Amino acid sequence: MAHDMQRVRESDGRMLASSGAGSTEVGRSGAMLRVSGLRKSYGEIEALRGVDLEVAAGEIVALLGPNGAGKTTLVSIVAGLRRADAGVVEVDGLDARRRSAEVRRRIGLAPQDTGIYPVVSVRRNLLLFGELAGLGRAELRRRIDEVAEALDIGELLDRQAGKLSGGQKRRVHTAIALLHRPALLLLDEATTGADVETRGHILELVRQLAAEGSAVLYSTHYLAEVEALGSAVAILDHGQVIARGDVGDLIGAHAVPVVELAFDGEVPAISSHGGATVEGNRLRLPTRDPAATLVEVVPQVPPGVLSSVEIIRPNLEAVYLALTGRRYDEADREGAREEATERKGRSVVAK
Amino acid sequence: MWSDPSTVIFVIVMPLIMVALMKELFATALRAEGFQGVNGSEFAVPAMAVGFAAFGVGYSGFTFFRDHGWGTWDRLRATPASSADILIGKVVPNVAVTFVQLALLFLLGGPLFGLEVRGSWLALTLLVAVVALSLCAFGMLVTAVTRTMNQLNAIGSVGGMAMAMLGGAWVPVATMPGWAQAIAPALPTYWAMQGFRGVILESKGVPQVVVPVLVMAGFGLLYTVIAAARFRFEDTKVYFG
Repeated sequence: MAHDMQRVRESDGRMLASSGAGSTEVGRSGAMLRVSGLRKSYGEIEALRGVDLEVAAGEIVALLGPNGAGKTTLVSIVAGLRRADAGVVEVDGLDARRRSAEVRRRIGLAPQDTGIYPVVSVRRNLLLFGELAGLGRAELRRRIDEVAEALDIGELLDRQAGKLSGGQKRRVHTAIALLHRPALLLLDEATTGADVETRGHILELVRQLAAEGSAVLYSTHYLAEVEALGSAVAILDHGQVIARGDVGDLIGAHAVPVVELAFDGEVPAISSHGGATVEGNRLRLPTRDPAATLVEVVPQVPPGVLSSVEIIRPNLEAVYLALTGRRYDEADREGAREEATERKGRSVVAK
Repeated sequence: MWSDPSTVIFVIVMPLIMVALMKELFATALRAEGFQGVNGSEFAVPAMAVGFAAFGVGYSGFTFFRDHGWGTWDRLRATPASSADILIGKVVPNVAVTFVQLALLFLLGGPLFGLEVRGSWLALTLLVAVVALSLCAFGMLVTAVTRTMNQLNAIGSVGGMAMAMLGGAWVPVATMPGWAQAIAPALPTYWAMQGFRGVILESKGVPQVVVPVLVMAGFGLLYTVIAAARFRFEDTKVYFG
């Protein structure tokens, strides 16, 4: 599906882009998932600030954002676990609030935290959730065998779930979401804590499900994983979708190489072509010719103050930097701290 | 429960041990009230049954907290199962377990301690059923208002123990101070003990236990209404285990 990239507004100095695909009418856009104007706050903390997003049948959309961006809140609301303060969620044309039971039949959710019953076997876990999903006995047994083969957990079926390794638990956790071939698959940080082999199994299975027609919303904060998945991307930052499109399109539209110089102390006065930004002790120079920029800039640096030089190549990290003015890893660390505060806020509000 | 025998020990074995230890003490008290041909089990068995059932009201909440701790609560909520399905699926087994616990103690009371039920076994069964329902409803209320396992254990255990004590499950109400006797009827455990006393010692049948049955059912309904009003599926519950 082609996504038109439009620069639609400026806010706080950031350039925001949103997809031009889809309409506001139910079903007409062909979207399996349609989120419109979604807002959610936990007390004074705004987790989602007007999110618009669509995922079509057979499409994989990686929901990318640093810790605290609002990914889990968004996924939780779509799955019916949280109520939005405002906005609309539609799954297969059904209003998720008014027809929640019908919507839940169409959704497969693998939450961020591993959720399996440790005191019973893997097979018992799959049977329980498969029955709750509405599968008949014969079909459920067949699906368990299929999913077990796809995720390489066949030998684990009769083992007690609590005695599995972390990666094995993660595969069982993901398997539960896939049993009933959901029309919309929600994977929230599916590969967090998973080993390389597990990660490979899960990503391959995600591609397979999309090929079979499922819509997949794949939440992650791993940039490399998104690039490896080759999916469409929606970048979430501070509760808003700031970019939406294919990885290649986003990089082409927003990312140029960036030369970053870090200094001991304040950034010295340096003459350069436009676009330079300073953040703390770092000077960032977007440029299509990093070598030429280095030749131009480095001689101007006083001796003894330069601590490092880095060239950030065009990738999703550069896209994020271009859109937000912040390094992704810095935002991730900052977001982890804010997320801890957000969880505390939820428990306070819940009281 | 099947994977953890400590629960069975707590709900069945411990009450039986307590009956064995305390029935002579209660025999003296019953004879002082004028009852003849008693051995103390007539008070001890229902007392320990009600007391331990009340003390364990937190167990019904434990299953909710455990789901939160295992990460399976959100999984359950994301399935097509309705909220009512989930609640019923969690509460009904607890009611059944409490009923079986109480019934077993009464059934074992005869062969082990010479308990003789002078009244109607149907009335006894009815009382056992409504005691299980009302105490589990109280357990749901405690679950609804608590956020952490520590709170659940504290309020559930202390609340259950207070119910048992003040309701006359540890000592006969007639032997308690005046202020405690005034409070006792405000508790379902009081009506449970009154009902069991009537059936076991006073040969009462179903018509004569209608009042305690209805009162306990009323308590159960009240606790259920409050729990339903207070329970939030979205609430986070903190589990350690």
